[in-house]
Parts: sequence; structure tokens; C-alpha cells
Amino acid sequence: MDFFELTTEPISIESVARRVVPPECGATVTLDGYARQYTKDKATGEVRETEYLEYEAYEPMALKEMEKLIEAAKSQFEISNVGIVHRVGRLEIGETSVVISVAAPHRRAAFEACEWIIKELKRTVPIWKKEVYAGGEHWVEGDASA
Amino acid sequence: MTVQVLFFGATADTIGQRRVDFELPPNSIASQIFEQLVAEYPSLAKHRLHYSVNQQYATGNETLTDGDEIAIFAAVSGG
Repeated sequence: MDFFELTTEPISIESVARRVVPPECGATVTLDGYARQYTKDKATGEVRETEYLEYEAYEPMALKEMEKLIEAAKSQFEISNVGIVHRVGRLEIGETSVVISVAAPHRRAAFEACEWIIKELKRTVPIWKKEVYAGGEHWVEGDASA
Repeated sequence: MTVQVLFFGATADTIGQRRVDFELPPNSIASQIFEQLVAEYPSLAKHRLHYSVNQQYATGNETLTDGDEIAIFAAVSGG
């Protein structure tokens, strides 16, 4: 089955990966996105050490957009099921912020769909990330327009 | 008519609120809210802003009706 969720609790990667698996599938590709410690500023090239992250979501719209992404992925790729779980609230360095699992009869479609979904998620799902570092904080703004 | 305007992340910080109820004349469009807000909070304009109307992405040209839920937010950065 497909699923899409927001949670303030730590995400169990394995439980997401196992929930998507139907009998006709032979491969699941799972992305584990987590909070990075060092971020290079795209404008200045300066490397900043993040202390922690805060994610905020426009929850009802984020869930609708996640659902649309899954529908769109299933119409474009030969895949069976997709699960997306995104965390919100405060995340420490190294903690998982997003898990995307794609189950498919064959691995190639699962890899391609997973890459497509994370790219689209970062462009369209209304969730924002704040980086908090020594001496400041800022809301990250996405690169691409929706 | 009254519409509810929601802010998130950078726009919530700029406005200093997460929700504002707006009184508008009938047949107003979404971008009129934005124009009023930018007049009051000029730094809003430095963000690449997106709109939604009733939780769907919008262009700003949508005609609003009483009770609509609008959101104005900077380019998303989840993942």
C-alpha cells in the first residue's frame, strides 16, 4: 500500500521500507535523508556548522502534495507502492528528516522513481527547513519554483 | 468578505504572525492580499513567494470567496 505521513517522532527507516512491499515486487529503493552537519553557502562558498534543524509544514497541504506526487510517480514509472514519511519539528544532526521507499517489480524503476520523488518533494511539498548554527539561524529557501 | 491568511517559515517571521484574517471587498483576487502586505512589510518582497488558495497552489489571479484559506510562503525547502 501507499502511504504519506508527517511526524514529530523519529522515523524508523526499516518500518517504512517494509510497509511498501507487495508480493509482486523484487526490489525496494529507500532514501534516508538526514540532517547534515556542514553546509556550504551557495552564494559565498562559506561552510557553516549547523547545530540543529527545525522543519515546519503546512500540514494539510503538504499531505495533499505528497499524495499527488505518489500518484504522478505511479503513472510515470513501473512501480507498485510508495511510502513517504517526513519529520517536522526539531531535528538533531544525523537524524532522519525524510524517508521515501519505492517498491517495484524491478530495481531500475524504483531507483528512478525515488530520485524523481525526492526532487519533486523538495520543489512542491510545503515544508520549510530552518538551519540553526552558532550565532544565527535562517530559513532555507528552495531553488526551484513550484 | 473575510479570508484567512496563513504564513509559514520566513513569511511568518516577517509578518510576526502565523494567521491573519483579512477583510476584502467581494471578488478580490489573491494577489491583492499580497500587495497590501508588501506595503506594510516591504521585506516580504525579497522572498520568492508562492500562494495557495484552499491548499492548492495558486497564481494570485484567483477570485476569492468568503472563508477561503490563503497561504503565502517562501520557496519550499523540505527533504
